[in-house]
Formats: sequence, C-alpha cells, structure tokens
Amino acid sequence: MEKVLEVKALSKQYSKVLAADKVSFDIAPGEIFALIGPNGAGKTTTIRMISTLLTPTDGDAIVAGNSVIKNPEKVRECITYLPDEAGAYKTMTGISYLKFMAGLFTTNTKTIELYVNRAKEICGLGDRLKDKIGSYSRGMIRKLLLARAVMTKPKLAILDEPTSGLDVINAIEIRKMIKKLAAEEGMSFLLSSHNMLEIEFVSNRVGIISKGHLMVTGGTDELKQRYNAANLEEVFERVVLENEIH
Amino acid sequence: MKFINLLKKELSELINKQMIFGLAVTMIILMLVGNIMETTIDEAVSETYTVNLCDRDDTEFTNALAETLKASGAELKLFEAEGDDYADILKKNKIKNLIIIPEGFTDTLLVDRKQPELISISSMTSAAAMANLTNDNSGALSIIESCLTNSLALEAGMTAEDLALAEAPVTVSETTIIADKSAEISMGAIMNKVMMQNMILPIVVFVLIMMTSQMLITAISNEKLDKTLETLLSAPVSRTSVIGAKMLAAAVVALLNAAVYMVGFSFFVSSATDTVTDEISTSVVGEVLSVETALAQLGLSLSVVDYLFIGIQLFLTIMICLSVSLILGAMVNDTKSSQNMIMPIMMLAMVPYLISMMADINSLPTVFRIAVYAIPFTHTFSAMPNLMFGNNAIFFGGLIYQVAVFAVCMFFALRLFKSDKIFTISLNFGQKQKFKKNSTAENE
Repeated sequence: MEKVLEVKALSKQYSKVLAADKVSFDIAPGEIFALIGPNGAGKTTTIRMISTLLTPTDGDAIVAGNSVIKNPEKVRECITYLPDEAGAYKTMTGISYLKFMAGLFTTNTKTIELYVNRAKEICGLGDRLKDKIGSYSRGMIRKLLLARAVMTKPKLAILDEPTSGLDVINAIEIRKMIKKLAAEEGMSFLLSSHNMLEIEFVSNRVGIISKGHLMVTGGTDELKQRYNAANLEEVFERVVLENEIH
Repeated sequence: MKFINLLKKELSELINKQMIFGLAVTMIILMLVGNIMETTIDEAVSETYTVNLCDRDDTEFTNALAETLKASGAELKLFEAEGDDYADILKKNKIKNLIIIPEGFTDTLLVDRKQPELISISSMTSAAAMANLTNDNSGALSIIESCLTNSLALEAGMTAEDLALAEAPVTVSETTIIADKSAEISMGAIMNKVMMQNMILPIVVFVLIMMTSQMLITAISNEKLDKTLETLLSAPVSRTSVIGAKMLAAAVVALLNAAVYMVGFSFFVSSATDTVTDEISTSVVGEVLSVETALAQLGLSLSVVDYLFIGIQLFLTIMICLSVSLILGAMVNDTKSSQNMIMPIMMLAMVPYLISMMADINSLPTVFRIAVYAIPFTHTFSAMPNLMFGNNAIFFGGLIYQVAVFAVCMFFALRLFKSDKIFTISLNFGQKQKFKKNSTAENE
C-alpha cells in the first residue's frame, strides 16, 4: 500500500544548531505514528518541515506523493496541522471559525457546510459553538481545533502535543477521538508528545528522537521487547541515555 | 474566493463594536468641541466691546467720556467700588475685568496737563488661548484712549476732518505674492486661512500612520503568539494572499478611520476658524478681495489633480507603514513587545509631524532638511504646502522616494514571510538557548 508519508533523510540546520539530522520514517494509511523526545530534540522542527512551514536544509518528505520542497501547495491540500498550544481567533464564534477554516480548503459552499457539520459532530461543543472563542476554556479550544484539524478528512493530520495542558478527562476524550478517526475513517496521524502513557495508548508506532537524530522506530510492543522494558517510558529513557553516552 | 474569505476574517477582527463605538465617540467629541469653540469665539467677539467701568472721579468730563463710549457701540456697565483690593472688587461684582477712573483724573488731564493714570484690572482664568479673550481690557482701553484724543483734539481746535486724517494718515494697499502670482489682500488674512487648512492633513496623516501600523502589528503578532499563523500558513492558501488580506484589511479600516477624522476635524476647524476669519476679513480696512478668491488667485486653492496627488501620497504612506509593520509584527516575541513595536514608526512620524506644525521644512538648514526628508513620512506631511507653494520638484521627488522605500520594505517583508524566518526569528533564539543549556549540561 502506498505510504501517506515518507520522510527521507530530512535535515534542518539553524545558524549553529542542527535541529534535525537525516530523520527518516514513514506512515501508512490509517496509522498513528508518534514522535517522542525530550525538549529541543527536534520534534517540532521535523513536524514543521512536513507541514511546509519550514524549508528543509537537506532531504525531503513526500506526503501522498507530493514533495514538501517541490510541491508544498499540493502537500498543504493533503494535510492539516495543529500546533502545540495553539489558540484560535478570540473574537470569532466557534462556528464562524470552523467556516473560515473550511473556506481555506475549498471554495464550494456545500463542501464547506459538510466540513463544518462534521466538525460540529466531532467537537461536541453543541450550542457553545455560537459563543465567542474568547469565552472558551482551554479544553474547549483544543476540541474545537482538533475538530477543525480532522473535519476536512486530510490524508495526514499532524498534531503537535494534542493533549498538552488538558485535564485527564479531556485528554482521554481526545485520544479516543484520534483512535476512532484512524480506525473508522482511515486517516493517518503524525503526533508528537511528551506523555508516554498517551503514546502507548494511542499510537501504532513510535519514533524516538533525541538531539535531532531519530534513534529508533517501531511498534510500542516491539520496542518494549527490544529494550526489555516494562513500558514505553523505560524504552524512552534507555534510548535517550544511550544517545547521551554516545 | 479564498482571498475574500481571508479578507472577511481580517475585517471582522478589526471592525468590532468597540472600534465603531470609538469612532462614533471621536466624531461626537470633535463636533462638540467645534461647537463649543464656535460659541466661545462668538461670545469673545461679542463681549470684546463690553466695558466695565468704575468712575471714581465722577466729573462732567468723565461722564461725557462714558457717554462717548456708549455712543461708540460699546456696551457700558458702570460699577461702584472702593479700596484697592481689586481681586475682591472683581469677585464681589462677578466680573472678569474692570477699568477704574481714579479720583482727580479730569484735573490731572485738563488742569495739570499731565498724563493721568487709568487703572485696568483683568483676571486671568486659564492658560488656554480662547479663554482669556473676554477678560482682556485692551479693546476698551483703546476706545477710551481714542475718545480722549478726540476730546483733546477738538478742544485744541482741530476740525473733524483733520482729526480723521490724523487718526488714519495713510491707506494701505496690501498685496501678497506667492511664487509669481499676486493678489491684493493682506498676508494676515491668507495666513490664517491656509494655516487652518494645513492643520487638518498632518493630524489625519499622523492618526492614519499610528492606527494602520498598530493594527497590522497587533494582527501579525497575535497570530504569531496564538500560533494561529502556523495553522493558517499550513492551510492550502498562498502566503502572499494571507499577507495581502491582512494589509488590505488594515488599510481599509485605517482609511475608514481617516475619513471619520477628516470629516470630524474639518467640521471642528471650520466651526472654530470661520468666525475668526470672518472677524479678521471684516476688520481689515480696504480689503477688496474675499479670502477664497484671493486663495484661488494666488494658486493656493488646490485643484482636483492636486488632491489626487495628495491621495496617492497618502496611499503610499499607508503602504510603507503596512510593509514596515509586517516586519515589526513578525519580530514580536511576547505581548509586551507587541505594544512597543510601534515605537520606531511613531518616532519617524512624530519628527516630521512636529516640525511641519512649527516650521517650514524647506527652510531648515540643508543637513537637517536632508535628514528630515529622508524620513519617508515627511513627504506626506509637507505634501499640501509643497503643492500649494509650487515646490513641485520636492513633491514629486518625494513621491518617487516613497515608491522606492515602499519597494524595499515590501521586498524584505515578503522575503521574511516567505522564508522560515517568520517562525525562526523567535524560534532560533529559543533553540540556541536550549542548545547552550544542553551543552553546558554535557560539559558538567
């Protein structure tokens, strides 16, 4: 089956820092792939390159057959990106925000309506969608943004720390939502997270990144076995420490 | 279509209830202040000829003087007051000024043939220019002096004709010249009208520059800080249309504001100045031309083409503001810095604004003039006077300079937005710090 995302030796050099060094991995349709790593490991840089926000210094990423370097416009039609701790326009109502964002993906009014209805259903905010976003709680904004990110049924939804800053109940709801969308709609997800428990629960495969290097990739069970660890947290610790020693 | 979607969103963010309320309040305040000014000046003008008099001498001569004052058209109010606690006298009689003819006034003048003393008391109640107009005694004093001169001259045997000639020994035929055009009118009358006209544009330009810049800086920095910019730029829309929509929305709203200010200020200035100008033109003896005709004759009234050029000039200024604001907005790292980012633009607008209010930029020493004209906004502040006084070379040179400045600023703004820098200006900094921390930890 054709891969939704193929990352090929993607590198990003900031003036003095090599933020991502030949990162390679791929994501199959309907797969949830998580990038995990300590602060400043290069997760967000990698994600931003795949989202066409940053230009790679070297390497390439192919999203649904389109190169992020040669064809960024086409890539943007196939993806949605939810940044870490992102906000939404506070003066807009939830519903007008969804309409505005849908209008960026299509000019067809019927399709816009279809997208908005989908988002309404997914976010579960009901009548609160008529209120200004400024009056929403953090959890509500995150649900709205997540609904926005998946309403267009993108081939790849890129979610940076999808549950950061949320309470347990909200986080669980969002994790379930992601799993459901992948299983039922066949959407692929690229996540990044600090929360190992979340990753273990939600993702099919993980990639551990440290100091710009993608150290290992594999299924969560496979990695636990390989590193003889009880959980993903232990795997993570060993991989990161190993990298520090080298 | 997608651009319209973006534009609608930008406009809806900028045009909200608070903004409309603010505009309405500004308009009302300007109109209200204009009206107050008009009434104050009217009052001042009508009250100038009210003479508050206290006649302590009370002779036939001083009584006759009072009668002459009345006959000259002044409204005479007589008061009786003792002592020299003048503040108390004004307070008790509830008046703001008073002229006292002391005892022995007639004898000193007519018998001793010396200059008698006249006591003039005025209370100053405010530092505002218009406020003290009615408190000033000078109008009344000059009438009294002229009455006394008349009495003395008549007593000395001068005829009424001699007296009229002595009072106005010459008639002045005034001609004002601007460039190679001339009109028979006093410079004072022209100055007054032109000055008031030139007051509106700089204020509107200043407001426009500040508003446009602040709006765009806030719009960009909010998007950056809320990370909505990342969401927006990862959507299938071009970066150029995202920037274009923001710039257009800011320009539309700024122009809307400018229109309101322009209408408000012209109402304010016209209500405040018309009365004054009318007074001046009627008081100038032998004025043969109306001020408007004279302005046209001197080439000071601007044609439609001139206004079009001023419009283009204003448009260019807004575009420069917008392109600079794009860069400044992109450099914002936190909410606090977003408020300070306007400073460079404010300083650049303040210098020509203040100078154009006080002095003629063209008559500054060369070094200063070049420095001031290097600020692109200067050309807009001086656009109207430059066109009025025929400094076309400076005006069009300025226009070309502004196009060049805009092109350069826009080039850098687009380069910034189309590159990684829009995210990394702050990102780089953070990563470097993290990198430093990591390497220090490693060394330890």
